[in-house]
Amino acid sequence: MAPTRTIKNKHADGSKSSSSSGGPKRSSKDGVKKPFSGGSKPGGGGSSKSGPKGTKPPPKEQKSKPNFGQDRKKKPRVYTEKELGIPELNMITPVGVTKPKGKKKGKVFVDDRESMSTILAIVQAEKEGQIESKLIKARQMEEIREARKAEAEKKEQERKTKLDETKELMRKKRKRGDENNKKKKDGDDEEGDKIVKEAVLGGTKAGKTKKKSVSFAAED
Amino acid sequence: MRALTDEEMKTVLDKLANYMSDLKSLIAPLDDGDRYVFRLNHSRVYYVKLSIANLATSISRDALLSLGTCLGKLTKTGKFRLHITALPVLAQGARHKIWIKENGAQPFLYGSNVVKAHVGRWSEDCPEHQGCVVYSMADIPLGFGVTARSTTEARRLDPTGVVCFRQADCGEYLRDEDTLFAG
Repeated sequence: MAPTRTIKNKHADGSKSSSSSGGPKRSSKDGVKKPFSGGSKPGGGGSSKSGPKGTKPPPKEQKSKPNFGQDRKKKPRVYTEKELGIPELNMITPVGVTKPKGKKKGKVFVDDRESMSTILAIVQAEKEGQIESKLIKARQMEEIREARKAEAEKKEQERKTKLDETKELMRKKRKRGDENNKKKKDGDDEEGDKIVKEAVLGGTKAGKTKKKSVSFAAED
Repeated sequence: MRALTDEEMKTVLDKLANYMSDLKSLIAPLDDGDRYVFRLNHSRVYYVKLSIANLATSISRDALLSLGTCLGKLTKTGKFRLHITALPVLAQGARHKIWIKENGAQPFLYGSNVVKAHVGRWSEDCPEHQGCVVYSMADIPLGFGVTARSTTEARRLDPTGVVCFRQADCGEYLRDEDTLFAG
């Protein structure tokens, strides 16, 4: 009888210990614990206490493990891109493309006449201003060009007048020089002419004097 | 088909203002109580009567080929490009005009720029790089372009010098027949 009981108890114990959930209450009621826990009394007493404790810790462990994981995941989330000090241009999305968070999604259409006319007025005013400034700029440039042109013409005129004056001076000088030369030249010419004439006349005379004469022996 | 957004409307009107002096006449109410509106379909901007635009809502986007007057195309970079189809609208309120002689009409319609020798007359006080509408001497709009020189500078230019850079001309109706209205 006794061995059968022990066997049953052993089986029951083993199954219960393996199953873990329903076991501890029955084991405390049965006397099976004595042989199972065996030699140590404090261990048996501890098992009776650890039975209810054993049920509590597993959920604690389960909670603690994912908590650690969540904490580790959360920590990097705390650092924003601004905190990290990454330059804005180095981001995947360009600076201009990012949309403000607070705004609503979707497009705002302009279909009513009032909003259209306001946009129209703004655009037209801008354009008018641009064209006006262009015109003013062009006029100013034109004025500057004309002033430069006038100045250049003036300079050219001055240079011409100067040149003319010097030319006049030179002419006058030349004229004076020519007159003196003419007078001198006239005197020289007369003398020269005389010399030439004399030479010519002399030459002709000389030719006549030197004329050879042929004389024949007189015939007896 | 949808109405234009704030930004789109601004870019379209900004481009139109280059060529037109009076933009308010574009959206002025008509005698019958109707008015013109801007509509966008397949990145093309149409200038159409409101009543017709409302009727067109019953046609699906894909099936709707065109309505009203096609002003041009909004590019993917957000800019607006005027088409030759916008010429009647531009010619109504042109800011600056150039009239070209008969001998210059054909070269212009074949796609070349306007040379000084071909100019019959031009509007005074026109600055450089400003939109202008090109007319024949019989006041028929032939196209539009951008001035290469201001009127004062153009006077000093030699006859072969370019006065106006061509943007669009009526010859495109034949040359770009395939891509003008679709594609």
